[in-house]
Amino acid sequence: MNPLSLLFKKQYAVEEKVQRLLRHLEDMAHQYQAAYEAYLDGSIEEFSQRNQELGEIEKELDELGHQIQMTLLHESLMPNSRDDLLWFLTKLDKVPSSFKHSLGDIVLEKPEIPEDLHSSLRNMLIHTHQAVQALAHATDSLFSDLRAVRQHVEEVGRQESEVDKLEHKMLQSVFENENYELAKQYQLKGILKQIGRVTNLAEDVADAVLILATKHST
Amino acid sequence: MVLIFLSGGLFLGWSLGANDAANVFGTAVGSRMVRFTTAALICGVFVIIGAIVSGTGTTLTLGKLGAVNALGGSFMAAFAAGLTVYWMTKFGLPVSTSQAIIGSIIGWNLFSDSYTDISSLLKILSTWVLCPLLSALIAALLFTFAKSLVRKVSIGLIRLDGYTRLALILAGAFGAYSLGANNIANVMGVFVPVAPFQEMQFGSNFSISSAQQLFLLGGLAIAVGVFTYSKRVMMTVGSELMTLTPLAAWVAVMAHSIVLFLFASERLEQLLANMSLPTIPLVPVSSSQAVVGAVIGIGIIQGGREIQWPRIYSIARGWVITPLISCLICIIGLYFLQNVFQQTVKRESQYQLSAGVLEKLQEEGINTEGLDTLSGSVFYSSAELVRVVKEKVDLSGRQGLKVVEYSLQNRLVINSEKIDSMNKQILSPQQLEALQQLEGQNYKFPWQLGDALGAISEEWKLRGGGLKNKLHDRKIKQKLTYLYRIFQEREK
Repeated sequence: MNPLSLLFKKQYAVEEKVQRLLRHLEDMAHQYQAAYEAYLDGSIEEFSQRNQELGEIEKELDELGHQIQMTLLHESLMPNSRDDLLWFLTKLDKVPSSFKHSLGDIVLEKPEIPEDLHSSLRNMLIHTHQAVQALAHATDSLFSDLRAVRQHVEEVGRQESEVDKLEHKMLQSVFENENYELAKQYQLKGILKQIGRVTNLAEDVADAVLILATKHST
Repeated sequence: MVLIFLSGGLFLGWSLGANDAANVFGTAVGSRMVRFTTAALICGVFVIIGAIVSGTGTTLTLGKLGAVNALGGSFMAAFAAGLTVYWMTKFGLPVSTSQAIIGSIIGWNLFSDSYTDISSLLKILSTWVLCPLLSALIAALLFTFAKSLVRKVSIGLIRLDGYTRLALILAGAFGAYSLGANNIANVMGVFVPVAPFQEMQFGSNFSISSAQQLFLLGGLAIAVGVFTYSKRVMMTVGSELMTLTPLAAWVAVMAHSIVLFLFASERLEQLLANMSLPTIPLVPVSSSQAVVGAVIGIGIIQGGREIQWPRIYSIARGWVITPLISCLICIIGLYFLQNVFQQTVKRESQYQLSAGVLEKLQEEGINTEGLDTLSGSVFYSSAELVRVVKEKVDLSGRQGLKVVEYSLQNRLVINSEKIDSMNKQILSPQQLEALQQLEGQNYKFPWQLGDALGAISEEWKLRGGGLKNKLHDRKIKQKLTYLYRIFQEREK
């Protein structure tokens, strides 16, 4: 057995939990996209099932996040690194919540999404999924290879920028369309903003990852 | 009585442990990465190991500056240094045990009218300046290397954190070893010439010399200082160092430890000598100044914004103030100890410039032409002897030391009883055989025994001339010093 693994048992355990947390985050991004697409396809039953699965993953993710926080608080990580990681985990925790809130709005409002927005919306969902995946990779690198963090963070930025452009274009078309009532326009705006919020948060967290990587490698 | 006299050194050791352990474990304990008890245990153990294994080199250098020859004098020298450290710390002035003990030794030299070898003093003074500079240079190089290594190696934050912690603990252990090796001379060096202990023999292969017993005691005193009083200092120093990143903190501790090690390691000196490189003087240096030097070195590499000029001024101020105060306290203390408490603070010694001594000095390259008129003259203080000789011929500081060494009268009697009782493990069979051949001989000057042994056996011959033989010759001189001690005729 590698003597280092005995010596750094606690550190390796935290790393393993973070890996699990990131896989859950990627699962959530996948379920989110799949649930939304099911809704756009009119398959409400699949949407509900995906939404339910997303809720379950979020619970597990919450539990895991709590365990990691407790380990960091009680085990012997250097205070400087420990505080940084706790700060980062609190930030990361907002991403799964944003998935839940976005789908929660759909469940509550059951909006009718016009067909002409479907294609752009699907594109927006793909970019959102990719942004969260890139965030997971960036975070993964934070715990495995600090040098690789920057390229993943840049990828998050690129995906967020794509989502921003699509969001802006769609909002423009929604508010320029005179067939939609004002209430409908605002309802669609709210839904698009919720999707956009996921990537905005992903970008915020990615920036935090980059700050930590830079701080700890200098 | 012996223990009372030794208490001066033990007090100095305690204050050294209380203050300087923070330089090696301050970061780890101050940041709560390592429990205080764990740090204190590692620190205590490694300080003792360092003191016993590598404490001799720096002690010999202090011995050249001034060999305090009475237990009372040793006590006062150590006590004055301890008091200086205590007072200056109390008033928030920068202080170094190394600088305090140098002041004390010079104080004793002045009080006892003993010769102070200026070349040894200059060598020591130059290392005080060299120590923080070297530490800054090592820290700058190490920091650049470590930073580029971290950037090249694929490692994550948690493992980097874990490795840094481990590295800090290992650096702390190395630092404690170096602290013990380098600074034990400050604590116990002045007691070595008057060591009150007999050699201890364990089985046939293991023995502890009287100097090592002193070092063990000194190491224990340092360890007690670490356990009893260093926690608060560690928390303070640790929080100061914690403004550095963990990597920079590790570099600071490593640079400090390397510098202390460089100035203490006889093995390294031997290695450098074998490679025909200039050797590093084995001198006790200031642990705190080494750390400050390292932090400055890291600051310079990071753009120079971190340089704290007031701290640099305070280091330079310490070079002057500390030895002066310690010297003054030592002189006053010696006066009271001798005249009020009626204690012996210096042993009366006689120095004679006999024909044999003059011949010996000539062999050493000293011009003795003008010294014929002094042949047979007896002097009662080494300083007076050198003063008188200097009036007749030019002498370098080192030559002055030779004049003192060769003209010191110390009758040696080689008899079977003493040969039987001595520790023979330190001598080779050939060396022992040569000694046994001299049974029944008497010598007025100790060097005569060395010469007689050298004439019988090659293994007793000093090779001289060059760095490569420096360590060989030093070992023989150490053995001869042991023989002088054993065969010295006791006063009746």
